[in-house]
Amino acid sequence: MIAIQTDDVDIGKLITAAKKRGTGAIVVFDGIVRDDDIREMELEAYGEVALPELEKIASEAKKTYNLLSVDVIHRIGRLAIGENILVIVVGAGHRKEAYEGSRFIIEAIKAGVPIWKKELCRDGDRWVPGDHQHGCGTGK
Amino acid sequence: MTVRVRFFARFRELLGTDIVVTVPEGKGLVDLVKEIAQKNREGYDALFDKKGAFREFVIIMQNGKRVDTAAAGTARVADGDEIAVFPR
Repeated sequence: MIAIQTDDVDIGKLITAAKKRGTGAIVVFDGIVRDDDIREMELEAYGEVALPELEKIASEAKKTYNLLSVDVIHRIGRLAIGENILVIVVGAGHRKEAYEGSRFIIEAIKAGVPIWKKELCRDGDRWVPGDHQHGCGTGK
Repeated sequence: MTVRVRFFARFRELLGTDIVVTVPEGKGLVDLVKEIAQKNREGYDALFDKKGAFREFVIIMQNGKRVDTAAAGTARVADGDEIAVFPR
Protein backbone atom coordinates (compact mmCIF):
# COMPACT_ATOMS: atom_id res chain seq x y z
CA MET A 1 0.00 0.00 0.00
CA ILE A 2 1.36 3.36 -1.04
CA ALA A 3 -0.69 6.29 0.19
CA ILE A 4 -0.83 9.91 1.24
CA GLN A 5 -3.62 10.38 3.72
CA THR A 6 -4.90 12.33 6.70
CA ASP A 7 -5.96 9.22 8.65
CA ASP A 8 -3.65 7.43 11.04
CA VAL A 9 -2.01 4.15 10.13
CA ASP A 10 -2.67 0.70 11.61
CA ILE A 11 0.93 -0.49 11.72
CA GLY A 12 0.03 -3.89 13.17
CA LYS A 13 -2.24 -4.59 10.24
CA LEU A 14 0.50 -3.66 7.78
CA ILE A 15 2.97 -5.99 9.50
CA THR A 16 0.49 -8.86 9.38
CA ALA A 17 -0.17 -8.25 5.69
CA ALA A 18 3.57 -8.04 4.97
CA LYS A 19 4.20 -11.60 6.17
CA LYS A 20 4.33 -13.58 2.98
CA ARG A 21 5.79 -16.90 2.01
CA GLY A 22 9.56 -16.41 2.11
CA THR A 23 9.51 -13.42 4.46
CA GLY A 24 12.28 -13.63 7.03
CA ALA A 25 12.47 -10.03 8.17
CA ILE A 26 10.20 -7.03 8.40
CA VAL A 27 11.57 -3.57 9.13
CA VAL A 28 9.21 -0.84 10.27
CA PHE A 29 10.14 2.81 10.08
CA ASP A 30 7.76 5.08 11.96
CA GLY A 31 8.52 8.78 11.76
CA ILE A 32 6.63 10.64 14.46
CA VAL A 33 6.08 14.25 15.48
CA ARG A 34 8.85 14.96 17.96
CA ASP A 35 8.33 17.22 20.95
CA ASP A 36 10.74 19.97 19.91
CA ASP A 37 8.84 22.54 21.91
CA ILE A 38 6.29 22.78 19.14
CA ARG A 39 2.51 22.80 19.46
CA GLU A 40 1.69 20.80 16.35
CA MET A 41 2.97 20.00 12.89
CA GLU A 42 1.22 20.65 9.60
CA LEU A 43 2.03 18.63 6.49
CA GLU A 44 1.18 19.50 2.92
CA ALA A 45 1.74 17.53 -0.27
CA TYR A 46 1.56 18.07 -4.00
CA GLY A 47 -0.40 14.85 -4.14
CA GLU A 48 -0.59 14.44 -7.90
CA VAL A 49 3.20 14.34 -8.06
CA ALA A 50 4.10 13.02 -4.60
CA LEU A 51 2.07 9.81 -4.84
CA PRO A 52 3.57 8.63 -8.16
CA GLU A 53 7.02 9.46 -6.77
CA LEU A 54 6.37 7.36 -3.66
CA GLU A 55 5.24 4.52 -5.93
CA LYS A 56 8.38 4.87 -8.04
CA ILE A 57 10.64 4.85 -4.97
CA ALA A 58 8.87 1.78 -3.56
CA SER A 59 9.16 -0.01 -6.89
CA GLU A 60 12.86 0.79 -7.20
CA ALA A 61 13.53 -0.36 -3.63
CA LYS A 62 11.64 -3.60 -4.23
CA LYS A 63 13.70 -4.36 -7.30
CA THR A 64 17.08 -3.26 -5.93
CA TYR A 65 16.83 -4.96 -2.53
CA ASN A 66 14.71 -7.97 -3.45
CA LEU A 67 11.94 -6.88 -1.14
CA LEU A 68 8.86 -9.05 -0.87
CA SER A 69 6.61 -6.23 0.25
CA VAL A 70 6.71 -2.45 0.62
CA ASP A 71 4.19 -0.19 2.30
CA VAL A 72 4.65 3.58 2.45
CA ILE A 73 2.02 5.75 4.08
CA HIS A 74 2.70 9.47 4.44
CA ARG A 75 0.26 11.51 6.43
CA ILE A 76 -0.74 15.10 5.71
CA GLY A 77 -2.76 17.66 7.62
CA ARG A 78 -2.32 18.81 11.18
CA LEU A 79 -0.62 16.35 13.54
CA ALA A 80 -0.05 16.48 17.28
CA ILE A 81 3.16 15.56 19.10
CA GLY A 82 3.60 11.80 19.11
CA GLU A 83 1.45 11.15 16.04
CA ASN A 84 2.71 9.08 13.11
CA ILE A 85 3.92 11.11 10.12
CA LEU A 86 5.42 8.49 7.86
CA VAL A 87 5.23 4.74 8.12
CA ILE A 88 7.36 2.43 5.98
CA VAL A 89 6.96 -1.33 6.31
CA VAL A 90 9.39 -3.43 4.35
CA GLY A 91 9.42 -7.22 4.11
CA ALA A 92 12.32 -9.28 2.78
CA GLY A 93 13.85 -12.71 2.96
CA HIS A 94 16.70 -11.47 5.16
CA ARG A 95 17.33 -8.57 7.53
CA LYS A 96 20.11 -7.01 5.45
CA GLU A 97 17.84 -6.37 2.48
CA ALA A 98 15.01 -5.23 4.74
CA TYR A 99 17.16 -2.69 6.59
CA GLU A 100 18.83 -1.42 3.43
CA GLY A 101 15.57 -1.18 1.52
CA SER A 102 13.90 0.73 4.32
CA ARG A 103 16.83 3.14 4.55
CA PHE A 104 16.82 3.68 0.80
CA ILE A 105 13.12 4.55 0.85
CA ILE A 106 13.26 7.09 3.67
CA GLU A 107 16.31 8.83 2.21
CA ALA A 108 14.73 9.00 -1.25
CA ILE A 109 11.53 10.46 0.18
CA LYS A 110 13.45 13.09 2.13
CA ALA A 111 15.52 13.96 -0.94
CA GLY A 112 12.81 14.89 -3.34
CA VAL A 113 9.15 14.03 -2.81
CA PRO A 114 7.09 17.24 -2.74
CA ILE A 115 5.80 17.07 0.82
CA TRP A 116 6.42 19.94 3.23
CA LYS A 117 6.11 20.34 6.94
CA LYS A 118 5.45 23.35 9.05
CA GLU A 119 6.19 23.52 12.73
CA LEU A 120 3.53 25.36 14.66
CA CYS A 121 5.31 27.05 17.55
CA ARG A 122 4.11 29.11 20.45
CA ASP A 123 5.94 32.16 19.12
CA GLY A 124 5.07 31.72 15.43
CA ASP A 125 5.19 29.08 12.72
CA ARG A 126 7.83 28.05 10.23
CA TRP A 127 8.28 25.75 7.26
CA VAL A 128 11.18 23.35 7.64
CA PRO A 129 13.11 21.53 4.94
CA GLY A 130 13.77 17.84 5.44
CA ASP A 131 17.25 17.99 6.87
CA HIS A 132 16.93 21.31 8.64
CA GLN A 133 17.57 21.55 12.35
CA HIS A 134 14.14 21.16 13.88
CA GLY A 135 12.50 22.70 16.85
CA CYS A 136 11.06 26.06 17.77
CA GLY A 137 13.79 28.52 18.70
CA THR A 138 16.50 26.53 16.87
CA GLY A 139 18.30 27.48 13.74
CA LYS A 140 16.63 30.87 13.46
CA MET B 1 -5.90 30.27 -23.29
CA THR B 2 -6.20 29.20 -19.66
CA VAL B 3 -3.40 28.13 -17.34
CA ARG B 4 -3.60 26.95 -13.74
CA VAL B 5 -0.86 28.00 -11.32
CA ARG B 6 -0.45 26.25 -7.98
CA PHE B 7 1.84 27.42 -5.19
CA PHE B 8 2.70 25.20 -2.26
CA ALA B 9 3.95 25.51 1.33
CA ARG B 10 5.29 28.97 2.16
CA PHE B 11 4.68 30.21 -1.38
CA ARG B 12 1.01 29.23 -1.06
CA GLU B 13 0.66 31.25 2.10
CA LEU B 14 2.14 34.30 0.40
CA LEU B 15 0.57 34.02 -3.04
CA GLY B 16 -2.45 31.75 -2.81
CA THR B 17 -3.07 28.58 -4.75
CA ASP B 18 -5.15 27.24 -7.62
CA ILE B 19 -4.86 30.46 -9.55
CA VAL B 20 -6.45 30.20 -12.96
CA VAL B 21 -5.38 32.87 -15.43
CA THR B 22 -6.16 33.66 -19.02
CA VAL B 23 -3.01 34.42 -20.99
CA PRO B 24 -2.15 35.04 -24.66
CA GLU B 25 -0.59 32.34 -26.86
CA GLY B 26 3.15 31.95 -26.35
CA LYS B 27 3.18 33.39 -22.87
CA GLY B 28 6.51 32.83 -21.11
CA LEU B 29 6.49 30.71 -17.96
CA VAL B 30 8.71 33.08 -16.00
CA ASP B 31 6.69 36.14 -16.99
CA LEU B 32 3.49 34.41 -15.94
CA VAL B 33 4.81 33.49 -12.48
CA LYS B 34 6.33 36.97 -12.06
CA GLU B 35 3.06 38.70 -12.86
CA ILE B 36 1.21 36.62 -10.31
CA ALA B 37 3.94 37.01 -7.69
CA GLN B 38 3.99 40.78 -8.05
CA LYS B 39 0.72 41.05 -6.16
CA ASN B 40 2.65 40.36 -2.96
CA ARG B 41 6.10 41.87 -2.44
CA GLU B 42 7.14 39.27 0.12
CA GLY B 43 5.95 36.51 -2.19
CA TYR B 44 7.87 37.95 -5.11
CA ASP B 45 11.05 38.26 -3.05
CA ALA B 46 10.65 34.67 -1.86
CA LEU B 47 10.66 33.43 -5.47
CA PHE B 48 13.00 35.80 -7.29
CA ASP B 49 16.40 37.30 -6.59
CA LYS B 50 17.34 40.91 -7.27
CA LYS B 51 18.14 40.11 -10.90
CA GLY B 52 14.69 38.63 -11.41
CA ALA B 53 15.89 35.02 -11.61
CA PHE B 54 14.28 32.19 -9.67
CA ARG B 55 16.02 31.60 -6.37
CA GLU B 56 18.00 28.36 -6.20
CA PHE B 57 15.56 26.60 -3.88
CA VAL B 58 12.53 27.25 -6.10
CA ILE B 59 11.22 24.26 -8.04
CA ILE B 60 8.94 24.64 -11.04
CA MET B 61 6.84 21.89 -12.57
CA GLN B 62 4.89 22.08 -15.78
CA ASN B 63 2.20 19.39 -15.95
CA GLY B 64 4.00 17.36 -13.31
CA LYS B 65 7.40 17.53 -14.98
CA ARG B 66 10.29 19.46 -13.55
CA VAL B 67 11.44 22.55 -15.46
CA ASP B 68 15.04 23.62 -15.05
CA THR B 69 14.72 27.07 -13.48
CA ALA B 70 17.84 28.23 -15.34
CA ALA B 71 16.13 27.39 -18.63
CA ALA B 72 12.68 28.53 -17.54
CA GLY B 73 13.18 31.85 -19.31
CA THR B 74 12.59 30.20 -22.68
CA ALA B 75 9.74 27.95 -21.56
CA ARG B 76 6.26 28.76 -22.83
CA VAL B 77 2.94 27.76 -21.36
CA ALA B 78 0.15 26.13 -23.34
CA ASP B 79 -3.60 26.00 -22.95
CA GLY B 80 -4.64 23.78 -20.04
CA ASP B 81 -1.17 23.69 -18.48
CA GLU B 82 -0.72 23.28 -14.75
CA ILE B 83 2.28 25.12 -13.34
CA ALA B 84 3.39 24.21 -9.82
CA VAL B 85 5.80 26.36 -7.83
CA PHE B 86 7.25 25.20 -4.54
CA PRO B 87 10.36 25.27 -2.36
CA ARG B 88 12.92 22.49 -2.34
